[in-house]
Amino acid sequence: MLHCLNAPGNLAGNCTDMTVLERQRARMKWQQEQIQQQQQSYFSGSELSGVFSGQTQAGQVAQSFQGLVGCESVLCEAVNRSVKPDPGLENGWPEMGKCEMPIMGLGSCGGLVSDTQGFQMNGAISRTASCPPTVAAAAADTKAREAALHEKMSSAAGRESFKKRKADKFQNTKVVIEDDTKEKRIKANAEEGESKITTEQNSTKNNSNINSNIRESSGDTSKENSKASDQVQKPDYIHVRARRGQATDSHSLAERVRREKISERMKYLQDLVPGCNKITSKAGMLDEIINYVQSLQRQVEFLSMKLAAVNPRLDFNIDDLFAKEMFPASTASSFQQIGISPENSAYLQFNPVQQVVSCCGLEIGINSPDMGLRRTISAPVSIPEIFLDTSCFTQVQPPTAWDTDLQSLLNVEFHQGRLTTPYPSQPFAGNIEASNLKMEM
Amino acid sequence: MGIMDKKKAIKLSADLAIASARKGTTYWSRAIIAKATAENNDCSRIIVENILGPERAERLEKASKLSAVRYNNRLLRSRKILKKCHNVRRALRKNVPRRVVAANSIAKRMVEKRTQVLKGLVPGGEFMDEVSLIEETLDYLVSLRAQVDVMRCLACATDLVNGKYEGKKKLAIVKRRVCGLLLLFG
Repeated sequence: MLHCLNAPGNLAGNCTDMTVLERQRARMKWQQEQIQQQQQSYFSGSELSGVFSGQTQAGQVAQSFQGLVGCESVLCEAVNRSVKPDPGLENGWPEMGKCEMPIMGLGSCGGLVSDTQGFQMNGAISRTASCPPTVAAAAADTKAREAALHEKMSSAAGRESFKKRKADKFQNTKVVIEDDTKEKRIKANAEEGESKITTEQNSTKNNSNINSNIRESSGDTSKENSKASDQVQKPDYIHVRARRGQATDSHSLAERVRREKISERMKYLQDLVPGCNKITSKAGMLDEIINYVQSLQRQVEFLSMKLAAVNPRLDFNIDDLFAKEMFPASTASSFQQIGISPENSAYLQFNPVQQVVSCCGLEIGINSPDMGLRRTISAPVSIPEIFLDTSCFTQVQPPTAWDTDLQSLLNVEFHQGRLTTPYPSQPFAGNIEASNLKMEM
Repeated sequence: MGIMDKKKAIKLSADLAIASARKGTTYWSRAIIAKATAENNDCSRIIVENILGPERAERLEKASKLSAVRYNNRLLRSRKILKKCHNVRRALRKNVPRRVVAANSIAKRMVEKRTQVLKGLVPGGEFMDEVSLIEETLDYLVSLRAQVDVMRCLACATDLVNGKYEGKKKLAIVKRRVCGLLLLFG
């Protein structure tokens, strides 16, 4: 549920303002979802989106519930089938069905659609297996049933019967074996669903019966549960849960959250930095990261040095080159590619905000003619005389066929650029550049 | 103008470009801009104005200064809290064996040392706490990579124009570069 809730953000996550961290996280989540889909072939994408939007109908909920809790539902059916022939397990199963199923059902459908297959399954369990009288009474009345489920749910979260469930699973051969991470995620789902329910019920207050039940249940559950419900009041909260033997005071909880955050980010960094995959210790990882950052910074230094050394020659050579390569028409296209396209792509990278960077002496950032003038007066690099002439910015008229060809090629280049990165200023810069070229020719 | 000045100008403009690409959403970019605007150099001022645009440069400058102040305050407060926590922890840890404590402290010191180094590397890192430091490092790393890529392309382009390569090899290199850039943005 945790990543299901975040998923709409992932899907719309192609905007440019997104930080790298978010993008990375979204990618990871997407991969996770892919894996999940592969694992459960009957869980199609439409159902997934249905869960995301939260407007699920009963059948869809049932299906998505099956998908999300796939193994659980299989388990449940197995229970339905195997309870009668095997009475020895009867003590184990009802509790499990009682505790897990409602949580998962509520968790997957957001607590709003409550009369779903999950409940029916629960009812089936209560019928087949000998269950406590509370459930039997609950089956009669839907409201009462809901209340009882809530009670059980919170008590289940408090009791932590996961170990028991695992042991039972090993006894039953039909059960699909879950890996540990999935179980963790399911646990998170359960908690999330629970807390969500409490907020919703508290906010709406349309059913006083349920409300009172929830309050009762939260009264006798553990300390963390009350803490969680406190945290739930905030719109974006972090759900913290102490495992057995861990400290529960607020300082250590906060510390744990911080550590988890750091380790999560370190994982993303590990993906990003080459050769960092095999290192497990934090200090070693930091070492790698430092080395990588340093090497990149040195590369920047070196490259800027190289560009600075190379530029003056470029200014002189460019005219010769143009003179050489202008007349043979066959080389026109290659010239265009060489002379302009790398720089255009440099523009794409270096000026996302309608300003032009002067990275090499050949091109100078110009927004308006007078700015260009100022720039040429005080610029660090020598510039051809033509730049001083402001008329070159206004005279963009293709006199010959070659020029039109060049411009169309340029436009194509820019369109490509815009397809990949939406910068609106590109055509303008392109025009300036084209005119410059013409003047120089 | 010497070659070192030129190099400095090129590096400054490249840094400002990657910083302005982030639109002031990250701390490292603001730190770069703040540092560039703090320099009372005629050349650097012109570069800043040209890259960021006059009104935007002012705004970003203000924002970056403000954020630095805020971070300072936060740092002081958090240090106080940290001190308190340390005292509490010392008091609590008496029944843990001494070797475990020593190993823990060594590991912690190693991590701390490296964190300090990283803080020196990432622009504006000295004002960050650990979580945001790693986040910013992540962001900065990606931008730095893009910067290196583009600068390499530029260097390659100048090499090509200067006539280091001839004929078909030239074309092949250009094609490869353009494809690489398109992949980078796509």
